[in-house]
Amino acid sequence: MKKILLPSLILFWAMTGIAIAQTPENLTTAYQQFNAPFTGEWQQYGELFTSLQKNLFPRLFLLVITTVPVFFFLHYIAIGPMSFPHDGKQVYCYNLFVRIIHWVAAVSFSLLVLTGLLIIFAKLIGPGNFGIAARIIHLVSAVIFAISTIPMFLFWIREMLPALYDLQWMMIMGGYLSKKKKPVSAGKFNAGQKMWFWLATVGGGVMAVTGYFLYSHQGDIEILRLSAIIHNFLGSAMVALFITHLYMSLVSIKGSFQSMIHGYKAEAELKILHPKFKY
Amino acid sequence: MGRMKFLCDIERCIDCSGCVVACKEGNHIPVGVNRRRVITIGQGQPGEKSISVACMHCSDAPCIAVCPVDCIYQRDDGIVLHDKDACIGCGYCFMACPFGAPQFPSGQVFGARGAMDKCTFCAGGPEETFSVKERKLYGQNRIAEGKVPLCAAMCATKSLLAGDADEVSDVYRERVFKRGSGANAWGWNKAYKNR
Repeated sequence: MKKILLPSLILFWAMTGIAIAQTPENLTTAYQQFNAPFTGEWQQYGELFTSLQKNLFPRLFLLVITTVPVFFFLHYIAIGPMSFPHDGKQVYCYNLFVRIIHWVAAVSFSLLVLTGLLIIFAKLIGPGNFGIAARIIHLVSAVIFAISTIPMFLFWIREMLPALYDLQWMMIMGGYLSKKKKPVSAGKFNAGQKMWFWLATVGGGVMAVTGYFLYSHQGDIEILRLSAIIHNFLGSAMVALFITHLYMSLVSIKGSFQSMIHGYKAEAELKILHPKFKY
Repeated sequence: MGRMKFLCDIERCIDCSGCVVACKEGNHIPVGVNRRRVITIGQGQPGEKSISVACMHCSDAPCIAVCPVDCIYQRDDGIVLHDKDACIGCGYCFMACPFGAPQFPSGQVFGARGAMDKCTFCAGGPEETFSVKERKLYGQNRIAEGKVPLCAAMCATKSLLAGDADEVSDVYRERVFKRGSGANAWGWNKAYKNR
């Protein structure tokens, strides 16, 4: 008898509890019902966004823009740049169209990185109208970059497809960790360039979509919060690889900056860094 | 020092939106910006309830935590204010706020958002008190005049209470005690049904 009594008592108790709670006259219930239209689903992404922006994002970007250059500075001192004889046979690698597209994307992307960092560290650099100007430049260069990325993506996608020998390149970090000039396993583009390409185009597309939401400020607030989270995480990765690309093209491999201007690369360089490239 | 708070008595709020109109008119708020709004649940059904919402002037406010220019700050009396000259209009405070309090006027170059606008508890901003600039950017500074915020002052049913937290909760506690709660709450049923 006791076995039935106790559960039924608990059941009755619970039922009356629910019945009282559902009565609209109950003030607490009414306040609870306000929660959905009042604060929305703040606990889902609102709380996450708040804690990430408070604790992580500015520090993450600070970490990226300090440690990555320091790492390359140490690389420059310890191993130094690569230099190849440029007086030998020259190979035509980049046609005029690709070079123009590259430089349009390069300038707009540099502006994106600069203004993006300016917005993140606005309290140090420029609050007020300066920050608003940075946001407008960020928008304009984003549109130019998004447009220039489409032909770049279509033109290079075949050569940028991942291959098995990219794994070998990754294993030895592209041979950049030794001073010896041994041929590495890479086609026209090595695995590092491929990573940069896919992050800049596909990642750039994601940045464009999330950035559109952030700029237009329209639509569901949950989408805005999620967009801000994605935009910041992806942005930090893009800044890291952007600095890498700058170091490689301007400092690490002598003459690679000029090759994007006139389109020619030295055969001696290709034999070591891009031996699988059939030209 | 007191702690300023809003409290909306949902047993009294009749969804007249007088607080919204008073705030907009009294502070010359631009079109499209709503510092205060009224939310109704169960509209047209028995037990319909309304609540008036503006900035809640939170302790440990999320907007202060996320602002990239640190333009939002909290006074000693708990009122959360912001500096419109420093604001870059990034919208992070809007994403962090659980109550949708920060508002953004649009219509500038490339549809860029201007500086954020939100409820100031009628306490102005960082500009000099009673200055023309303060009034233009932030609206009235009624707290400095020794008055309660405009919305609470004009509330016809006195459902919207504003002021020192202890005073506000005393008023509310007395009300709840007088009218009862749950099945004993004062209302149609108690007044007419069982007669």
